[in-house]
Amino acid sequence: VYQVFESVAKKYDIMNDSMTLGIHRVWKDILMHKMNPSPGTLLLDVAGGTGDIAFRFINYVRSVRERQLQQKLKHHQNLSWQEISESYQEDKFKSLGDSQVVVCDINKEMLKVGKQKAQHLGYSEGLSWVLGNAEELPFDDDKFDVYTIAFGIRNVTRIDLALQEAYRVLKPGGRFLCLEFSHVSNPLLSRLYDIYSFQVIPVLGEVIAGDWKSYQYLVESIRRFPPQEELKAMIEDAGFLKVDYQNLNLGIVAIHSGFKL
Amino acid sequence: MTRLAQPPGRLPGQGSVKTAQQALSSLTARRGGLPPAGIGLPCAVPGRRPKGWARVVRCQLSSPQRPLQASAVLRRVSDEQKKEPLASSSQQQFDSHPTDPQPEQEPQGPRPSYTGQGGQESEDYESEEQLQHRILTAALEFVPEHGWTAEAIAEGAKTLGLSVAAAGMFHSDGSELILHFVSQCNTKLSELLEQEQKLVQLGEAEKKPTDQFLRDAVEARLRMLIPYIEKWPQALSILLLPHNIPSSLNLLTSMIDDIWHYAGDQSTDFNWYTRRAVLTGIYNTTELVMMQDSSPDFEDTWRFLENRVADAMNMGDTANQVQSTGEALVQGLMGAAVTVIMVESLPIFSISQPLSAYAKRILR
Repeated sequence: VYQVFESVAKKYDIMNDSMTLGIHRVWKDILMHKMNPSPGTLLLDVAGGTGDIAFRFINYVRSVRERQLQQKLKHHQNLSWQEISESYQEDKFKSLGDSQVVVCDINKEMLKVGKQKAQHLGYSEGLSWVLGNAEELPFDDDKFDVYTIAFGIRNVTRIDLALQEAYRVLKPGGRFLCLEFSHVSNPLLSRLYDIYSFQVIPVLGEVIAGDWKSYQYLVESIRRFPPQEELKAMIEDAGFLKVDYQNLNLGIVAIHSGFKL
Repeated sequence: MTRLAQPPGRLPGQGSVKTAQQALSSLTARRGGLPPAGIGLPCAVPGRRPKGWARVVRCQLSSPQRPLQASAVLRRVSDEQKKEPLASSSQQQFDSHPTDPQPEQEPQGPRPSYTGQGGQESEDYESEEQLQHRILTAALEFVPEHGWTAEAIAEGAKTLGLSVAAAGMFHSDGSELILHFVSQCNTKLSELLEQEQKLVQLGEAEKKPTDQFLRDAVEARLRMLIPYIEKWPQALSILLLPHNIPSSLNLLTSMIDDIWHYAGDQSTDFNWYTRRAVLTGIYNTTELVMMQDSSPDFEDTWRFLENRVADAMNMGDTANQVQSTGEALVQGLMGAAVTVIMVESLPIFSISQPLSAYAKRILR
């Protein structure tokens, strides 16, 4: 797995766009809306090498924080001068409101690409980049509010260990979110999807990234991945409650969500 | 506790009409909250008359909420005293109730025994619904600041020691919070009315006349909104969203039912419907008046309420009056018509002779 992603790191984003025809952005946005993070949330993004989820999180939290500050200012208009001056001294009006993202990936190259992207796009505060294995996270217990793993869990060799680690590092009340390719039940769409996956994607891989084998591996790993209900059962086994999944695009992609209660 | 009467040895599918009647009458006796089966059942599917048990199930569209509410009362009461294993076991029964849309999961780990483990409960053993209720209750104190939003729920979760991400368990528009609050208020109202009834039965208080009773009940219920009055218009608008209308309507009708039940309504005819419709109208309009009332302690609102209740009482009288007036009028008209005809006929007789003579002269 390591070597696959080593070769894939640089072209990862371009390949994502071409394979999914850009819909992957929509999927990640939907994931963010489902999470609905409030300022002050601590996010752990595992296998999030190039930082897509992390950047979306920061954008979301920033806009929520802006709205909050606007509300506060509106409220301030009714206060006396004394109270306003006091509040100016207290509040630092932080733009992120203490939210933080920790991006963890097993692959150094992916992290490097992510850091470069962050610099390029201008994301400076609230981001950390950590090298780590999803089956054995280098973090303490009960630390994070949300744990996400977007298109990463099928690359983990032992999914149950990864789920247990997720359970461990989440705070009580914390949320586990998993965005992943999944099983299409509609037969017509399933046929089309198969044709597209096995014929088109490896060709794209060869043309754009010069790597047929990695993308064939990718498609096969999608087929081998357990379907929605099975993954839901595995998440429940790890100890999560209120486990639920939402199919996007009729099952091509599914978002699983569970709470540590 | 609210299981419908089932004679032993009978399968639900074989329920006869007799069983249905028994069940209905037992429920009616318990709460007075359903119209007797004698009337054209308004909730039955038109054109089809499902048999026996299915008919009972169909007719009690609103009753699943009542068991859930009743269990909510039990839960809340027991929550306050101590985490009762009994409440949890009845809770588990209703967890599998079809009204709950999300799949309920058992807590992970060794199956907790719900019978007998006195004070040893830890948080893992309470069901998800109980935890959700606790979060929502804790979130209520943040509502004046944040409104009825997911933010308030997140703050509430924080006070319980949970991560803010726990607010993700609920819908992002805060509707669960509002529904929770409304059902809590309704429960409080029922308890209040029950206590009053007890006092009357014990002879310690006077039985109030109906209009006074209704006024006091509606006032008590609306006063519970006062701490949240600024954000209540927002809550009302959220309650009117299409996906919330069934539940909010349910809560409203059951509250009105409660009030009439404690007011001593024993009607078994069309009056049942008119009374509830009238009181619903009074309640809704008074609530709206309260939203924009700025008088001290909402005096204007209570005066408005008084006038509406008086109107409603008079309407009943007026209806009778109109009817009897109508009858009297008709009789009078008939009499007048007869008299007029008799009187008129005399001049006509006297006119007719010269008229016919004149006519003959002209026609000649």
